[in-house]
Amino acid sequence: MKKRNGSKLLLSAIMMMSLLSACGGKANNTADSSNSGNTGSSGAGKDTITALLPPVSANYQARFADMEKEFNALHPNLTLKIEPASWEDMTQKLDTQVNAGSPPDIAWIGASGLSKYAALDVLIDLNPVLSDEIKADYDEVPMKYFQLGDAQYGLPAYMEIHTIGGNKQFLEEAGIDWKSVQQNGWTYDEFRKAIAKGVVKNDKGETSRYGFVFATSGVTSKDYLAILAKTAGLPDYFDNDLKYTYTSKKFLGLLTAIREMIDDGSMPKELSSIDAGKRWNMFLTGQTMITGKGLSAFENSARLNNEKIKANDGSAVADSIEVDYISLPVPTFNGADYIPTSIVDGYIALRGKKEPSEEHIKNIALAMNFLSSGSIAANYSNELFLTPITESARKAEVLEKFPRNEDNVAAGQAMMAKALPARTDIPTEQAAEALKIETEVIIPKLQALLADEITPQEMYDAVKAAAVKSFGEDGVVAD
Amino acid sequence: MNQMLTKRKKLKLESDSGWGYAFIAVALIAFSLFTAYPVINAFIISLQEYRPLGSTYVGLENFVNSFSDELFWKALKNTLVYTLLTVPFNILLSFLVAILIMPFKKRTQTIFKAVYYLPAVASGVSLAVVWLWIFDPLKSGIANQVVGFFGISNQNWLGSSATAMFSLVLMSWLSSHGTAIIIYLAALLSIDNSYYEAADIDGATFLQKLRFIVIPFLKPTTLFLLVTGAIGSFQVFQNAYLMTGGGPDHATTMVGLLIFNNAFTYFEFGEAAAQSLLLAAVIALISFVQFKILGKDIEY
Repeated sequence: MKKRNGSKLLLSAIMMMSLLSACGGKANNTADSSNSGNTGSSGAGKDTITALLPPVSANYQARFADMEKEFNALHPNLTLKIEPASWEDMTQKLDTQVNAGSPPDIAWIGASGLSKYAALDVLIDLNPVLSDEIKADYDEVPMKYFQLGDAQYGLPAYMEIHTIGGNKQFLEEAGIDWKSVQQNGWTYDEFRKAIAKGVVKNDKGETSRYGFVFATSGVTSKDYLAILAKTAGLPDYFDNDLKYTYTSKKFLGLLTAIREMIDDGSMPKELSSIDAGKRWNMFLTGQTMITGKGLSAFENSARLNNEKIKANDGSAVADSIEVDYISLPVPTFNGADYIPTSIVDGYIALRGKKEPSEEHIKNIALAMNFLSSGSIAANYSNELFLTPITESARKAEVLEKFPRNEDNVAAGQAMMAKALPARTDIPTEQAAEALKIETEVIIPKLQALLADEITPQEMYDAVKAAAVKSFGEDGVVAD
Repeated sequence: MNQMLTKRKKLKLESDSGWGYAFIAVALIAFSLFTAYPVINAFIISLQEYRPLGSTYVGLENFVNSFSDELFWKALKNTLVYTLLTVPFNILLSFLVAILIMPFKKRTQTIFKAVYYLPAVASGVSLAVVWLWIFDPLKSGIANQVVGFFGISNQNWLGSSATAMFSLVLMSWLSSHGTAIIIYLAALLSIDNSYYEAADIDGATFLQKLRFIVIPFLKPTTLFLLVTGAIGSFQVFQNAYLMTGGGPDHATTMVGLLIFNNAFTYFEFGEAAAQSLLLAAVIALISFVQFKILGKDIEY
């Protein structure tokens, strides 16, 4: 009997212990992935800096172990601990850790997300710990994308221009002087005529090739509108007087153009359901002459697919054709100047529930600069077909050499030269309100406009009403 | 002697119940940590403007904001429409399939059960990807090829307000019956054969047997499936998030998606928690009404 009771007791104890240890394990993991600097760092021994990073380029994550070792060799008193994340769960992972009050010291974000974390008061201003030497290494325009007010909340990793991409053969067949467009740009009227020429119909009168296909499904509609708005005289949600700009008649003009391109038959009437993967597939299979949005790395993707086709490799995109990818600027609307949409991604410094020590913040800055400059930045920029944005990266050796289309390189440089620095003067609350209008009004209404369920005027009126409700009659542009 | 026996029995009982409590404790602790604590915490957060580094108490402001938010009511309406369109039809379909499977031998029944249960085993994300392919807006899409066969032009299934909700409903109709079929089959097999024999002697037809024997006997099962189906349907999130993102023009924004957006897009955790509690209240109310209307003459 005693023996039976003993075994019952043992079993219960094991079950309780396993439950407690499971909870304990979770707590340990949380602490482990938390901001190590929260407990202070100096003096007692090695300081550990944690970083949460996505697969920036094809081989970026594969080099993590080398990066950690190299950093430790440069700073023997510091340890860099990198946690990999996929693109799919990067934001969710980061947000969960931020909201639990235990974020990593360094995280990768797109600069457009800066105000979101600033509103939560979890960002660390690096200005006091960044040396002049480090600051001077970075190009001014991308550097500004990680500023809000006077605070420097992070460092940029790369800067990319959102372009559109053309199929060289189809462009030439349509009589489009793409070299001139690359260097001089084009107006909406010129673009409208060009994409109309790119349309091909089959014997039944059905369109077998569209002039222009941009991914607009779900939230990608936001990209479409934002990229076109930049060149329609609406470079930001707020003008220099901090008045909301999408109430301007320029916005109505842009919406009218968006609808016209579909009504002309140059874009598919089902555009609102075409996602990023689908439109790239349409480009590679010859179903469209121009695709959006364009990124430099797509030139390499197209080249790799061409090689697979030539080698009769089964992993080439099904039914794809050989494509020479041509980088093109977005057309301008309303007679506006060309202002490219710059995408700047990089690293931010975060704090958790406990205030990090000054020494630890200094170490975070060291680690962040290590990740965003020199050979590390040179290599991921090279893989992504980007020009580095730090002097140290431009001078650094790269591990691989890729064949590039020199016209695309020149076009990229011409477009990059027109990039504007980010606005750092927009108050966080105002930016948050604009984000809410974007998510709750602009994107849903644009989806309806693309699906031909509302008119441009109806969408414009809805956005204007929401903006006036949020910012007042005096807080919006009236022209 | 008797006294001694009673004492020993009592002691044994006490000892057994002690062990019982010890084993229950494990489940109780797990429940407290992973169910009760999040619910209580959600209630506390709903009264705050939540910030990871220091929240502020705002009273009922988040609830007031939710009530005055047009989008919350639209999301609630969408969710209700989705529930009304999916739950009864899914139950009816499951019932019909269960009735059709029942006459087969056990082995054949098992094959059917496995086939129908298969989508429940597959990941929801994979299913959504397959359905995205089916609803491809161009001519290449399967759904468009099917309607094209009947002379209907290309449909922008997920991109048009006219068809987006229907597309999500269709997906639910055609891919989630496995569990209900198995539950119905179990309930059908538990009906005593003597009822059917008596009905046969009285010359009852198939439909009469269905109406006077099967349906009344399956009423508790139907009620169970209705309540759990409505609860699941009101919490729908994944399909709307993955397939339409709530669009176009909020035509498929469900409450679950709205809560997710508030929490993870705007970081308005207070409002998201308030809306979660409101959703829980709506679900509780609907479950109560279902029990009141359908549960009167049910004996368990």
